[in-house]
Amino acid sequence: MWELLARSLEASTVFLFAALGELVDQRAGVLNVGLEGLMLFGGTAAFITAQTTASYPLGFLAGMALGAFLGLAHGFFSITLRGDQVVSGMGLWILSFGLTTYLGGPRTGPLGLERIPGVLGLSPFFPIGVILVAAVWFLLFRTSLGLAIRSAGENPAAAEASGVSVVAIRYLCVIGGGTLAGLAGATYTLSYNPVWTYNFLMGWGFVSLALVFFSMWNPWILLAGASLFGVMWQLSLSPELVLPGVLSRYVWRTVPFAITIPILVVISTSWFRTRWGLAKPEALGRSYVKG
Amino acid sequence: MRLGRHELTLEPRPALPAVYAVLGAVVAILLALVLASVLFLSADAPLFAAYRTVFSYAFFNPHGVLATAQRSIYLLLCTYAFLVPLRAGLWNIGLPGQVYAGALAAFAVPFALRATGSPPALPAGVLVALMVAAAATAGAALGGFAGLLRARLQVNEILVTMMLNSILVWLVAYMIKEGGPFMGATAEGESFSLPPPLYAPLLQGVPFTALLALGAAVFLDLLFAKTALGYRIRAFGENPSAARYGGIIPVTLSLFVFLLGGAFAGLAGYHYFAAVPGVYKIPGNYGYYGDLGFYGIISALIARGSSLGAVPIAVLFAGLSLGARFAQGALRLPFGVDYALLGLLMMTFIASHVLYQFRLIWRRVEAQAPAIAAEMSRE
Repeated sequence: MWELLARSLEASTVFLFAALGELVDQRAGVLNVGLEGLMLFGGTAAFITAQTTASYPLGFLAGMALGAFLGLAHGFFSITLRGDQVVSGMGLWILSFGLTTYLGGPRTGPLGLERIPGVLGLSPFFPIGVILVAAVWFLLFRTSLGLAIRSAGENPAAAEASGVSVVAIRYLCVIGGGTLAGLAGATYTLSYNPVWTYNFLMGWGFVSLALVFFSMWNPWILLAGASLFGVMWQLSLSPELVLPGVLSRYVWRTVPFAITIPILVVISTSWFRTRWGLAKPEALGRSYVKG
Repeated sequence: MRLGRHELTLEPRPALPAVYAVLGAVVAILLALVLASVLFLSADAPLFAAYRTVFSYAFFNPHGVLATAQRSIYLLLCTYAFLVPLRAGLWNIGLPGQVYAGALAAFAVPFALRATGSPPALPAGVLVALMVAAAATAGAALGGFAGLLRARLQVNEILVTMMLNSILVWLVAYMIKEGGPFMGATAEGESFSLPPPLYAPLLQGVPFTALLALGAAVFLDLLFAKTALGYRIRAFGENPSAARYGGIIPVTLSLFVFLLGGAFAGLAGYHYFAAVPGVYKIPGNYGYYGDLGFYGIISALIARGSSLGAVPIAVLFAGLSLGARFAQGALRLPFGVDYALLGLLMMTFIASHVLYQFRLIWRRVEAQAPAIAAEMSRE
């Protein structure tokens, strides 16, 4: 049972890193629907680097650096060129789906390094995730930089008038968010499941994106949501632990995705939006034109 | 950006004539091919031999040409499935899921009739028609579900369609693997094969779905160019709030575009699994065919929403992806050249999109300091 929980928390960490980065992006008003693409690229870069250099730190660095670079690319298109954020995000995703399949294909198989040691079977990344949640919460709600980030996402014109450089803030956030997405991918391929296979994420990035909406843009609720989905994910992989012999294992695999849809529906109802959903950044997805 | 006495800036461009859109598409595709040559070079394959192998297999080899035609139909139907919602500003990335739904529904028709025990009392032609209708309906239902959620509650359609993709992937696995209802009697991990009377009628070796795909190209362009409904969809896609002000009801439109798009994807599923000679079953590697549907996104984007414009693009992509697979074996190239091309095409498309809307301006900057000095000396 403990083993299952430890494994669940490790899965949660992947969701958490990716979603936390996206949360910071969105708080500054930039929507990146290509989160899965950033994770695929980060994970593949980390895997290839770690395998060729036999060094975990270098692998993580490579994954995070590539994530940051792709965040920057998304920023250039959506902030400087004021392009459609959905077009850019989807572009990043398809680009990564294609290129990582090509780059990672020859390395299909296990990483071949000794596993990253954990404490009592729990990987060191979950505590790091909790610390990051606290740090992001402190940054967003207790510092002037956080106020600048939130105002850039709520009302960029007012933020600019009060002396905040919306462009600089948004760039900072997309690069930071990209770094975390790269870290999420690296955690997946180096720690959670150190085997490269074709399209290894199969929707983790999109689930993380949904988690940001579920969290109402609050890091602590995000932590709870990510933990819940991590447990659900592990249970869907081994349903025999709870309900042996009920339904095919393939049907259980659909559960985490199937649950996401009703939650999305509930948080989209006007009943929910008027009572709890007020946290949505007002300028989310809209480019800012300095006037 | 300042470079010495010159300045390089990116400025919005006034609207360009349509010729440039075509030119942009051609340049984007050519550039992706040039970039792809880096992949061939890195694999130590002779460059021209590699391209010659890709193109001669895809467009001149009799076996390859048929395969290209069959894959083109599939990609075209997937293109429409993405293109119709895109005209209303909505993103249907649920192509694989809707393709699987169509395939499952098509195979459900002979399955249901066989399960009742009696030999099919209906003529084969009617059964084929039923399979086509079932596939289109299932695709439409899955697409329409996302469209309805979008229309009524503004639920993000990208997330919903992507979740449905993952759900359907596992449902297909359930149906065809480990003793699932559709599992073949002889082969583990595949569906049962269609009986020969239910094979789709062929025209010159190509299934009749070719007519559907080409007919839809004309139909969709006419729909968007000439009808009031098409105008409403475009108006809603370009400026939703203005359209609402002009009395266009977004609820029915969002639902309609997803129903129509989903139906096309369902037909694509029917075509690739139930109508292509030599297949006639849901194979174990169905995931590869489903993900191939993502080429539909690129071809609709590069064609800028024109269904007729998408025809040559889909044919080219079908040929390239098949030729690349063939060259992989013939020249021992690494796996995944076809996917790499998909990624490169996306990159060059975004670049061409940027250059279509912006221009690089290179101008000389007058040195300012001496001017101020002159001003001061005058006082």
